[in-house]
Amino acid sequence: MNDAVRIGMIALSAAIAIGMSALATALAQSRIGAAMAGAVAERPELAGSAIILVAIPETMVILGFVVAFLITGLKTVK
Amino acid sequence: MIERMAKVEILGLKDVSLEAIDLIHELGTLHIEDLSEKITQWETHHVSKMEMDSRASENQARLKQLRDKVAEVLRELKGDIDQIPKEEIEREYELLWSDNIQVMTSSIERLLSEVERSTREPVERRDDLMVELSRLEKYAPIIAKVQPLVQRAAQMEDTASIALIIERKYKAILNYLNEEISKITKGECEIISADVDEESTAALVVFGRHYLKAVHEFLAVQDVNQVRLPADIARVPIDEAVTRTRARIAEIPKELEEIEAKLSDLTQRYTTKLVAARNAIHDRLETMETLPKFGQTDQVFVISGWLPEEEVKPMEEALLQKFGNKVVMTVTDIREEREEEETPVMLRNNPYVRHFELIYMLSKYPKYGTIDPTFIFAIFFPIFFGLMLGDIGYGIIVTILGLFVYKKWKDKPWANMGGYILAVSGGWTIFFGVIYLEFFGNILLKALGRVYEVNGVEKIKYFLGTEKSILKYPIDRLEAFALMFAISLVLGLVHMGIGLVIGIINGIREGNKKHAMEKGGLLMILMGALMVVAEFGLSWWPMFLTIVGGILFVAGLVMAALGGGAGGLVEGFIAWGNLFSYVRLYAIGLASVIMAVVANQLASDMGKSGIAGLIVGILIFILLHALNIVIGMFSPSIHSLRLHLVESFGKFFEPAKFEYKPFRKTGGESK
Repeated sequence: MNDAVRIGMIALSAAIAIGMSALATALAQSRIGAAMAGAVAERPELAGSAIILVAIPETMVILGFVVAFLITGLKTVK
Repeated sequence: MIERMAKVEILGLKDVSLEAIDLIHELGTLHIEDLSEKITQWETHHVSKMEMDSRASENQARLKQLRDKVAEVLRELKGDIDQIPKEEIEREYELLWSDNIQVMTSSIERLLSEVERSTREPVERRDDLMVELSRLEKYAPIIAKVQPLVQRAAQMEDTASIALIIERKYKAILNYLNEEISKITKGECEIISADVDEESTAALVVFGRHYLKAVHEFLAVQDVNQVRLPADIARVPIDEAVTRTRARIAEIPKELEEIEAKLSDLTQRYTTKLVAARNAIHDRLETMETLPKFGQTDQVFVISGWLPEEEVKPMEEALLQKFGNKVVMTVTDIREEREEEETPVMLRNNPYVRHFELIYMLSKYPKYGTIDPTFIFAIFFPIFFGLMLGDIGYGIIVTILGLFVYKKWKDKPWANMGGYILAVSGGWTIFFGVIYLEFFGNILLKALGRVYEVNGVEKIKYFLGTEKSILKYPIDRLEAFALMFAISLVLGLVHMGIGLVIGIINGIREGNKKHAMEKGGLLMILMGALMVVAEFGLSWWPMFLTIVGGILFVAGLVMAALGGGAGGLVEGFIAWGNLFSYVRLYAIGLASVIMAVVANQLASDMGKSGIAGLIVGILIFILLHALNIVIGMFSPSIHSLRLHLVESFGKFFEPAKFEYKPFRKTGGESK
């Protein structure tokens, strides 16, 4: 496999790692966000908890980012 | 830490009940227990809820009326209540307050009539002037347009005229009016019109004077607005009306200014007194509304509640001094009565930790009898924040911003606490910035000549150690993945471990051995698993520690299962996932440093292409770093909070049912 294809595959893998986890996080956050927006409209004192709950699915994209970062590091490994 | 509380019962003769309640309200240390629910459950019919007699009910109704009236006058005066010093309000409050409700309400009524007397005339005059001004401003352009029309009409003999104002989009109605009025006046009619503005058109209907009545009658049934000038200018020639209108429009604002100045003096004089009156009414009503929470028999009253242990003696002495043996207070042992669940919680922490009680904006207070975890938040939140953001430049900005918020909003507890936390977190950001040697990304490293390129990849010349060393300085976050990963996990283990140890202590304190066993098992699972994993990551890790880790892991699983059943086992695996969640400490920082490096690289590349490029480069530098700082403040705060509330507190935290809210004079919101 020549270098260009190899680097392209590495970049694609990193993109998939971060992209898929970002999509999953976005999907979860959209649902939690909508539910919490409704809850906060009824009980404004829940605003603080809402921020924390919306942040919970971010673990996925954070781990995705770490994996993507590790994959991009492969391009310097010969 | 959670303040030690005492549960007390106060019994006394009924004829001094109201005075006793007033004294307790004045002392302001007793958190009242609502006895009404208990009384309905008791089988005895001798004890009932305390109720107001008819005279007290009348007083209550009178106070409520006064409260509404005071609020209305305060609204009308529009004084800036936030600017009044609390001491001034308190001084007026003391002057106004009386144990005798009749005396207090009479004073407030006198105050209200004095305010009304002094302000009625200027307020009415101000309202009149404002109405006049708005009317004149409405008519001024109409009169100006009608003026030349009237002058043309005046040249016609024996004619009368009526001015109309019509919406421009219905301008076509003028043709219809012309036809109809021509029929009435047998052709002796002319309509002259001119547009006033984009929405309206002024028109003057000129016709033979002897048709005046008929035309008026016709126009009255049509849907058109006749221009009716204010009385003082309606009977003067149009030229003079225009001059007078303009002069009046210029005069009124000056008159309004004088009235506003007079009202401002009055507002300043009376707002403090009125706020004090509002507070006094609030406190008096609060006492009355609390009565049903107390119990009574034919002869005695009973009040139950909690207060900090150190406040028991002052309360006892005050009651003894005022009522002698007519009122008696007894203390109940909370632990013996197993009343931790119902006991209200009051926190008393040192000044540093107290600022971190901000976390209870997102959660309830910890249950009475458990350990207050605010100190965990106070230690770890700023460290986590600094570890994630870690940049000397960003840290300086965050610290300055935090100090600014802290000083600017000293009277607003939440902002004050938030500013303090931000400033401390900024300090840790600078500390970790020094560890990473980052100043707005890699600027400092470049300035010190410690950055070089290998195959297009930037590397760092370390001050201490080499790229392959475990311990080196500075720590390059883009390179030191394994080290940062390990630091994150170890910090996570310590953080969660403290939470689990608190869980064990809470379990032992509450006599819940299974709970303590489950938490101990979870701690052993985490430690054991990490010791086993270390074998694969660290070449120097001794085998016997791996074996110990394995034993700990298995023993932990057994203990968790014994303590919490299947739920305990599931918890063990969740805890392991929670530990990996601490990787965010590294990942969030990594995102921040990459963005800072990208900002520097873009700015530097742009700066190489002439003056225009340099300006664009500087703009890019400022914008991207500003964005990174904003994200850098928001994201580490949220994630650090989450690590506390979900990963750590989630392992042991039991929320309190009630926060300690003593029955005291608060004066509503303003004090």
